[in-house]
Amino acid sequence: MPPPEDSSQPRLAAGCRWGAETKAGSEQERMILFPEGAIKLQGTGLQILERCDGERTFGQIIEELQTQFGVADPVKIRADISQFLEQLRYKRIVDY
Amino acid sequence: MIPNPLALIAEVTHRCPLHCIYCSNPLELASVNSELSTEEWIDIFQQSGKLGMLHAHFTGGEPLARPDLIELIAGARTAGLYTNLITSGIGLTESRLKALVDAGLDHIQLSFQDSRQDAANWIAGAKAHAHKIELSHIIRHHKIAFTVNLVIHRQNIDHLEEMIAFIEQLAPERMEIAHTQYYGWALQNRAALLPTRAQLENALETVAAAEKRLAGHIRIDSVVPDYYARFPKACMGGWGRRLMLINPSGKVLPCHAAEVIPGLEFENVRKKKLEYIWRQSSSFQRFRGEEWMPEPCRSCDRRAEDFGGCRCQALLLTGDAAATDPACSLSLAHSTVESALAEANSSAAVSQPVPAASFVQLQQRAAHLWSYRTNPE
Repeated sequence: MPPPEDSSQPRLAAGCRWGAETKAGSEQERMILFPEGAIKLQGTGLQILERCDGERTFGQIIEELQTQFGVADPVKIRADISQFLEQLRYKRIVDY
Repeated sequence: MIPNPLALIAEVTHRCPLHCIYCSNPLELASVNSELSTEEWIDIFQQSGKLGMLHAHFTGGEPLARPDLIELIAGARTAGLYTNLITSGIGLTESRLKALVDAGLDHIQLSFQDSRQDAANWIAGAKAHAHKIELSHIIRHHKIAFTVNLVIHRQNIDHLEEMIAFIEQLAPERMEIAHTQYYGWALQNRAALLPTRAQLENALETVAAAEKRLAGHIRIDSVVPDYYARFPKACMGGWGRRLMLINPSGKVLPCHAAEVIPGLEFENVRKKKLEYIWRQSSSFQRFRGEEWMPEPCRSCDRRAEDFGGCRCQALLLTGDAAATDPACSLSLAHSTVESALAEANSSAAVSQPVPAASFVQLQQRAAHLWSYRTNPE
């Protein structure tokens, strides 16, 4: 399975949607619901997936997160986001 | 504190236009006039949402046999639940599907009995196959998750590769390749359904190759059937740990088959609240945790992984619901499974579809092979 390209537009797969918003301590937490379960997301994972709106490109998402986390190594950020999206596509929660 | 249940299994009716020989419904089906009303179900969904459940799985029988299914789906969605319709597709038209999606349906799981029309209709005891194919194309016009479910067994497992290719061109996000589980009608028909070891091993290879080939496009869910496994399945994720099942007449069960267990009294949603039933009823507490466990489970390292396996299977094969699941190679009663396997591996291959003009004719011609699932009164 190929990783996303810079021009890919990641989005939630059909029938996968956001569930309730909750707080875990001081941190914001949201849930993704899909056919056989649910995943709680917070921190970076949440930041990435909230940008997977089918409009932003993979390249734009990386850029936005790099700006936000300034100091991080750009190569590492790209690899991390790519791996995260690949895993979710494998589960059929994300398409790109 | 007992954690909240994760999902509700709503058996909204036991009526079904199909008569699948592997059906795991109880032999004693809930009657039509005992079925819960629309309002009763909507109240159940509200209670489920408040109890923290995330998913409502609509099953049966055939949920589409309920004329109020659209209202039920809307009720579950309003209560904050993710809605999943497990269906044969019989009774679903293009306009009804649209209405269900508009009401908030998130996921549809459509069953197929085979890739070959004659064989599929023969297993289902109904001419359903062509309609299911047509419906698959209509489903893809909607933005809902689509799973194709295929139950495999001795009669169809030899052409699994062909069946996977067939499902692939229906373009679902998921395919579930489910080995028959031997409860209800399937247990009655076990000799016709249990595959040989060679059949199983071929099937495992076929599935592994397909998983690799389809990664990122179609996710395959498949589990080794427990009769051939070394350890039992963690049935329902453990008794009273994750799931609540409500049958058509409102009985609340920890699993599909629990009603066969003698000495257990199941509460009815008409009389008690779900939260009470989950936390305090004797039926949900009976096999929860580890207190009830016999040896070898009690001192086994795997007891928190498989919870001693399935209580109903223990009852059906040993007569004691509190025994270790005999599918476990460590069970004192494992010989009951071994003898079924010995028989499956020694007897002749498979039967062939017989043509028949009607279901009654099919029943007569298949009488020496298996019993078809009937319908409730």
